[in-house]
Amino acid sequence: MAVKPKTFQQAKVTYNTNAELAWWVFMRVSGLILVFLVFGHVWFNNIQINVAIVDYDYVATRFSRSWVKIYDTFLLGFAMLHGMNGLRYQIEDYVQHPGRRFWWKVILFTVAAVIFVMGAMTLWAFSFEEMGDAVRQLNAQ
Amino acid sequence: MYRGREGQWAFILHRVSGIALALYLLLHVVDISLVMFGPEGPFNAFLAFYHQWPFRVGLLMVIAGVVYHAFNGLRIILMDFTEWGVKYQAPMWYAVLALSVGFWLFAAVKIVPEIVADF
Repeated sequence: MAVKPKTFQQAKVTYNTNAELAWWVFMRVSGLILVFLVFGHVWFNNIQINVAIVDYDYVATRFSRSWVKIYDTFLLGFAMLHGMNGLRYQIEDYVQHPGRRFWWKVILFTVAAVIFVMGAMTLWAFSFEEMGDAVRQLNAQ
Repeated sequence: MYRGREGQWAFILHRVSGIALALYLLLHVVDISLVMFGPEGPFNAFLAFYHQWPFRVGLLMVIAGVVYHAFNGLRIILMDFTEWGVKYQAPMWYAVLALSVGFWLFAAVKIVPEIVADF
């Protein structure tokens, strides 16, 4: 930045540009990372197994492993940021009315935030080992 | 580069696959989050519903979207960060298509018989 913005208008122009530039770089960097994360995810869950065997036990067993929690946290975080910013680009490009553009983005970010929290809770707020043990005890009684 | 040539098709397919994958991502996080409700919860019923053949064919299309979006994304990175990327964007797009079809066929050869077996 050559000149420090002195007015709100100048700052808005400058920082909007910088934010868009940062997102532009982020889409390339996260995209490169996601190639490996998503290919790995498809390899583990669609190629190494028949996806039709996936049930509660399969997912709970996966989520009781630390490396899966960490892998899936990166996958969730990068995929959500990359995907939601991608959807934002569509709104910026195709919703021409400024008011409607604003509200579409409000809806998108709200839905995305709720779903991200759901995903993060699923990964970190439960001990699926203990839940599995509790079920096995109930069944044994 | 545009005007209905390779670059424009690459762009349109990247957008369409990207939108589809983003919407699938939201749905996928929600359905996997149902494990929160425990083994007695709605998870197994939901998964049994998803294991019907139309959804598994849909999943094959998600994989097609993944491979195209991934390889074309790498093409975009090469166009943006190398000196020669833009010059070779058209042949690179054919390479993207070839890699996408190859990787997708690898997955489909393994997955289609599984769908047929449960049909």
